[in-house]
Amino acid sequence: MSTIGGVARVEKVQLPSVAVSMRRRPPLPLSLSRVLLYVVLVGYGLFSLAPFLFAFSSSFKTYAQVLSWPPSLLPNPATLDNYRFILSGAQLFPRYILNSIIYAGAVTVLNVLLASMAGYAFGRMEFPGKNFFYLLTLAVLMIPSQLILIPKFLVAYTLHLTDNYGGLIVPAMVTPTSVFLMTQFLKTLPRELEEAALIDGCSRFRAFWQIIFPLVRPAVTVVALLSFQGAWNEFLWPLIVMSHQENYTLTVGLAFFKGNYVTQYNLVLAGAMISIAPLVIIFFIFQRYFIQGLSTSGLAGR
Amino acid sequence: MQLAASKARPGGPPETRRGLPFKINRRKLTETLTAYTFLAPYLFVLIVFTLIAVVTALTLSFFYVDFGFTTPIFYGFRNYLNIWYDLTHDGDFAVGLRNSVEYTIGVVTLQTILALFLALLLNQKVRGRGFFRTIFYLPAMTSSVAISLIFYWLYQPQGGINYVLSLLHIQGPAWLENPSTALPAIMLLNIWTTAPTFMLMYLAALQDIPPTLYEAARVDGANSWQMLWKITVPLLRPTTFAVVALGSIGAFQIFDQAFVMEGANGSPLRSTLTAAMVIYDTAFQKSLMGLACAQAFVLFIIIFAVTLLQKRYIDVNIQY
Repeated sequence: MSTIGGVARVEKVQLPSVAVSMRRRPPLPLSLSRVLLYVVLVGYGLFSLAPFLFAFSSSFKTYAQVLSWPPSLLPNPATLDNYRFILSGAQLFPRYILNSIIYAGAVTVLNVLLASMAGYAFGRMEFPGKNFFYLLTLAVLMIPSQLILIPKFLVAYTLHLTDNYGGLIVPAMVTPTSVFLMTQFLKTLPRELEEAALIDGCSRFRAFWQIIFPLVRPAVTVVALLSFQGAWNEFLWPLIVMSHQENYTLTVGLAFFKGNYVTQYNLVLAGAMISIAPLVIIFFIFQRYFIQGLSTSGLAGR
Repeated sequence: MQLAASKARPGGPPETRRGLPFKINRRKLTETLTAYTFLAPYLFVLIVFTLIAVVTALTLSFFYVDFGFTTPIFYGFRNYLNIWYDLTHDGDFAVGLRNSVEYTIGVVTLQTILALFLALLLNQKVRGRGFFRTIFYLPAMTSSVAISLIFYWLYQPQGGINYVLSLLHIQGPAWLENPSTALPAIMLLNIWTTAPTFMLMYLAALQDIPPTLYEAARVDGANSWQMLWKITVPLLRPTTFAVVALGSIGAFQIFDQAFVMEGANGSPLRSTLTAAMVIYDTAFQKSLMGLACAQAFVLFIIIFAVTLLQKRYIDVNIQY
């Protein structure tokens, strides 16, 4: 496809080369333009953070307080009742959370395993059809998901993969993005790594599992994080595939919850916080891997 | 799996006169079988859920598919004629497409400029670059549904955004209830959430530009502004293409935010009804799968044509 040039451009960025750590630098001379630079940086930082912080604090407000004008920054009194109400079994939220954990967890584990296998074949083996399927992988990255949404649903329906975990997990268990990332990483490892073992009669499977797989940790982390994020945040596919309320994921559950509790922003916000919290925690722990992965794949614009 | 693995062991076939080529072929075969075993799960997903799905989408667009009730009936071009009628009579799909196009132009333009601006800032010698990058990226990481819920609240007439505006003595509108502000409100939200991702792409590309170019330009007496427009921006063209193309592909498919904030009908007055929402409605509410496939295909053609145009006009190789 026409856009492969764009991908090829991006793939030149090697995983380890993206400098992420804060390096110590000698003090810089202070000038007006530098002050301005920091003002803009801090300003945009606040702009990025403020909606989350305000929503977080408001999720502890009472209904009366969340509607008050002018809005107050801090809850007074602070109450846990919103969370208590949401997490009480009556709202099915515990079930939504469980569904999301199973969905995102399974998708993460499967992508790491299956994408590293596929990446091993694409990145380190020679076989007829290799270039064809790899180019196809790159091309598929550019297909808008809308185009295949309906037939994907019909295929899932034919395979009895609707209204169950299989319908969520199977189509997402190994994505072209994961395969692309793994292949790019596995290509960079020196060929000598498993060559000696292969000459000594080691099978490809053992070479993969015992020699290569332990070395792909950086790529595994990236794929795991992106897969988890993708599944945890996915909305449209679970909305389509799941029909019974107890099968909803957290995103779908939240969207319907909002429909029922329109103006009870305190409750809606508490629900949103529950959906955001796990990712924020994971993100702050692994942020450098996230950023490496995104710089490499450049595919998160959806 | 076991079978393929055992074949890989050496000392398999006995030496014959033509042993060498035979043996190589055999090894090749084993290698091929092993490779496809490794690829099997991926190829299954790729073929079943993507390739077959693409072909099915195309095929079904020529059928009347009343999901689950009757067998598909061949419909010729009637689905496409139906779309044509819709487009020429201001039907839902026409409105949805128009909104999606408007949305895409606004979002892609502004988010690309913002992404480049932020990347240029972070590419300066700043302390705490990693810290800022992490904070900036936060909106891009969270779920579209959760973000939409937060902004649904912030955009209320008595919400946080209008409060900030009131501090500046501006009377904010009822963002989500006014047909002229509802779509721009969703656009602003999306620029805010998507720009950081593209900022990362720009940042990675900026670090690839050789510093010697700037040094040479400085020796020749160029100022920072000239260097930005004569060196940085031209050299970033391939990245700009990727940013614009990926941004457009994403923006054309806008669904989650509009659906969550404004409901399935794209209220008020269809002002936030997007093409993706119409396709969803046709397929899963009206149960007209064939028509929905045809609509999806029209959307795809538009996205594809736009990407080609962008490739033609943005992805120009600059040599120095």
